[in-house]
Amino acid sequence: MTALTLDGLRGSMEGVYASMLATCDAEGTPNVSMISQVHYVDPEHVALSYQFFNKTRANVMQTRMAAVQITDPATFSHHRLDLDYVETQTSGPIFETMKAKLAGIASHHGMDGVFRLLGADIFRVLRIDAVPGPTLPPAEPRRLLASTRQACAELAAAQDLETLLDGSLRWLEEHYGIRTSMILMLDGEEERLFTVASRGYARSGIGSEVAFGEGVIGVAARERTAIRIGHMTREYRYGTAITETARRAGLVSGDAQTIRFPGLSTPRSQMALPISGAEGLLGVLFVEDEEPMRFDHEDEDALAIFADHLAARIALFRREEAEEAESAEPESAPEPGGQTLRFHPHDQSVFLDNDYIIKGVAGAILWRLVRENRATGRTEFTTRELRLDPGLRLPAHAENLDARLILLRKRLEERRTCLSIEKAGRGRFRLNLACGLTLIEVDPDQGATA
Amino acid sequence: MQSLPGIATPLEDVAAWQRQRGELPARDRLTPDLLALAQNGATILIGAQLGGRPTVGFGVCCRALPDGQLRILLSRSGNANVLAAIAEGSRVAATFTGAPSHRAFQVKAERAVIGAATQDDRPEAERQAQLFCDGLTEIGFTRDLAAGWLALDLGDLAAIELLPERVFTQTPGPGAGAELPR
Repeated sequence: MTALTLDGLRGSMEGVYASMLATCDAEGTPNVSMISQVHYVDPEHVALSYQFFNKTRANVMQTRMAAVQITDPATFSHHRLDLDYVETQTSGPIFETMKAKLAGIASHHGMDGVFRLLGADIFRVLRIDAVPGPTLPPAEPRRLLASTRQACAELAAAQDLETLLDGSLRWLEEHYGIRTSMILMLDGEEERLFTVASRGYARSGIGSEVAFGEGVIGVAARERTAIRIGHMTREYRYGTAITETARRAGLVSGDAQTIRFPGLSTPRSQMALPISGAEGLLGVLFVEDEEPMRFDHEDEDALAIFADHLAARIALFRREEAEEAESAEPESAPEPGGQTLRFHPHDQSVFLDNDYIIKGVAGAILWRLVRENRATGRTEFTTRELRLDPGLRLPAHAENLDARLILLRKRLEERRTCLSIEKAGRGRFRLNLACGLTLIEVDPDQGATA
Repeated sequence: MQSLPGIATPLEDVAAWQRQRGELPARDRLTPDLLALAQNGATILIGAQLGGRPTVGFGVCCRALPDGQLRILLSRSGNANVLAAIAEGSRVAATFTGAPSHRAFQVKAERAVIGAATQDDRPEAERQAQLFCDGLTEIGFTRDLAAGWLALDLGDLAAIELLPERVFTQTPGPGAGAELPR
């Protein structure tokens, strides 16, 4: 047994260098080739990318043995691994992680479409040997553990969900130097996420949507696994897909109802981590950078811990909010007039004059609040009454009401409308109207009706 | 499928082989194209079998000998496994990959002979190491990363000589792995 561990060699499995792979057929004739990816699976297993049915593949199926040599780009140390084949996976987290990474590597080498992952071949590592030769001393270790401890302490101190979400992105910058990031929350039971906080971009993109499977974010959400790439590829770009809602509704004025995804124009490194806990997937934490290979295994470990703590805090705020059940006192109603608020029931989109505000459940909430205010003069509302309102059609599970209210508040603020909502205590919030409103519900068949 | 200018395809390799092969004397195992690729800074991988298992190593320089054999220089200490396998009579595979074209081919031999590196191997090893670094720099590596990977140590070189018996295109893409028949 050797003192070398696979965990200590993760730096050699970042995909900076191609690795070397040897197999033999049953007669003992060797075959040797370069391989794009030796992927770290766990302390005892690696996965190799199966891209073509070739001699290597035939040999592996025949003898179930392989040898690889991997190289650390920081120290130039080479290691040889003796491997025994276990199985091939053609879907799931390991496969998707490798597929994303391979697409990036292929694109980096001008090989888009040539490298296609057919499977992730899982191997047990029997033996690790260091290859003698000149090496550099390892770099000073980064202080990621200390950074993570500090960042998690900040998470623990946040007093409400909005502070937690916006703060998280600030803490990523303060403690890890990550300047461009966002948090997307699950859109109820839909296979879709919406941006609820972002940092470092020219425009916030609050409310923009990413479908499951789209880009590293959508794949991370669908597979419930961290996806990290060090070279950008067209396959994982955002913003080209039309949102599912728009498709379903057959919208003609699609652009007005689609908030553009805020991402970097030339990202090279991206990482998406699921925010999930006992309740299942809550959302995705996303970071990116223009520098290639910006995030490594260690960053992934650190941010995975951060995302887990974030998930626990979100779940806690949810439970607290749900326990509050106070109603608010009626107040005087403002006069009609001023600006026009239009509601389109087919996609629950809301426009203030001609300015698109929001759609979906957040749009339905806004419409309910202003109508209630018009009818009764109330300005204070509780999250509980929204949860119990059948008209809002909140999904029974994962309704994400708190995140939707943050989304709505941010959109109203960004569009500089005369409406705003603010927190008025635990489980309560206030609708502020600084202008008169004419309310119009658009009948899709007959035009507008007041 | 899309390929950039300068990126090779297996089908081009097969066509070039067929074009050049007919004009060569039977003694020559490789076409001028492949000999040029092997001797100008290619990444050289070596495969063998040791104790019933595959084993892998890498070379730093290749020289084509007049009798059709390939002389591959490799780090002695860094390839103790491969040298042990060859000493036991293992069959040998060697793959040569060029940058930035990604053009590659593999040769297979029934056996190889181990020898010592000589004085006149060294300037050639240095020249090819230089070209290796140039090639990797062209595909986005820093010079330090390229040189660090190769880890050329002129004081620690051994040589193996083998006669290519079978040749395969190893360039990535449809048709990769096809044999280039004699």
